[in-house]
Amino acid sequence: MRWLIVLGGLALVVIIVIASIAGTYNRLVTLDQAVQSQWAQVESVYQRRADLIPNLVATVKGAANFEKSTYLAVAEARAKVGQVTISSTAPSDQAALDKFAGAQDGLSSALTHLLAVSENYPDLKATQNFEDLQAQLEGSENRIAVERMRYNKAAQAFNTTRDSFPTLLVAGFFGSRFNEKAYFKSQPGAETAPKVNI
Amino acid sequence: MVFLRPLFGVAALFALGASAALCAEIPIPAAPTQWATDTAGFLSPQTVDQLDTRLRDYERTTGHQVLVYVAPTTGGTPTEDWTVRAFAKWKVGRKGLDDGLILFVFPTDHKVRIEVGYGLEATVPDAVASRIIRETITPELRAGHPDQAIVAGVNSILGVIGGEAPGPASTSAAEGSTSQPLTGIDLFLIIIVIIIALNIIVVMVRWAARHPGVFVAGTLGGYSGGGFGGGSFGGGGFGGGFSGGGGMSGGGGATGSW
Repeated sequence: MRWLIVLGGLALVVIIVIASIAGTYNRLVTLDQAVQSQWAQVESVYQRRADLIPNLVATVKGAANFEKSTYLAVAEARAKVGQVTISSTAPSDQAALDKFAGAQDGLSSALTHLLAVSENYPDLKATQNFEDLQAQLEGSENRIAVERMRYNKAAQAFNTTRDSFPTLLVAGFFGSRFNEKAYFKSQPGAETAPKVNI
Repeated sequence: MVFLRPLFGVAALFALGASAALCAEIPIPAAPTQWATDTAGFLSPQTVDQLDTRLRDYERTTGHQVLVYVAPTTGGTPTEDWTVRAFAKWKVGRKGLDDGLILFVFPTDHKVRIEVGYGLEATVPDAVASRIIRETITPELRAGHPDQAIVAGVNSILGVIGGEAPGPASTSAAEGSTSQPLTGIDLFLIIIVIIIALNIIVVMVRWAARHPGVFVAGTLGGYSGGGFGGGSFGGGGFGGGFSGGGGMSGGGGATGSW
């Protein structure tokens, strides 16, 4: 009779432990999914900007005597962005994310420069096509800033839970499944929203 | 390496904290209770009233929450940063559809912004929003006609999104379709729905009483959350003011200066 009670008690403890592990695991999965979907947003806004480049380069090329080095720099930065591949899941590797962000920031500054130079070409600036492109670029830059910030927030929520006790033990138990997420570091001057228009 | 990790985390948190502190400079005001709000005294009261009625009717007809919000300034915060956070805080647009839009005007900053919810980005792309600002709104603002500028801007925006009830706003057509008194059939249906809902609740409570401790909170909580989660009631036929429907924006739209 006694061993039955002991066995029952043990079974209860095991059930409680499993239930709490399951709860922790599920919470991590939920937070991880939030980071993943936010990462997808980040990728899609970057892609959206990259898709604008060919049209932009073609447009400024058509303008009389447009400074060639400017749009070549943009095309180059665009190509560099294409070379930096990063996993389609939210990165846990800070160095990989830094490299990705670095290439993207390079494209940002090349674009900023191009739009600044375009001020010297009133004929170009006055065209509907260029004005639309400029609006789309500004919108893209703004979306990038927003989605990056939201990604960092989601990653922070995940990491905070993941690294707190006793979730840490559960996270560790599942190996690389719940690695810490990497953050976008704010680049110098990023405190102010990207100012593409002068 | 194991010891370095927490350091990494701390550095990252510090960076986040710094950006959060920067973002928190100017608090975003509470959600407006009307569709058109002017805290800067920039528009004439009649214009604000007309816009408010029109946008309220527009929401009733199409479901889209379109707001006009005039505030003196963002207080040094970049316009786009302020507006995207306001949009998120006010939850403009329906949940899941994100089909809201806000026309912001900051007279002291001389800035106009159209902030577009995720779900309207395809309908109102940046280039279109920018054209509305460049070609319709800012020329009038420069000419010193704030009322005309904003009314014309709203005309263009609603024209692009479409679906506005024909005829001048707030006249018989729009009023008639939305605020008709309840007919006998309507009342009958409402009563039936209430009876069914009550029955479900009674069954659930009885079931929960027979299964103490099992999912009581979860089940009941889930029900009330689902039932009252939508914000569209605020814009419904109860004479209330605006209330956000749970939508989001992702920084789409355009900004202009005058």
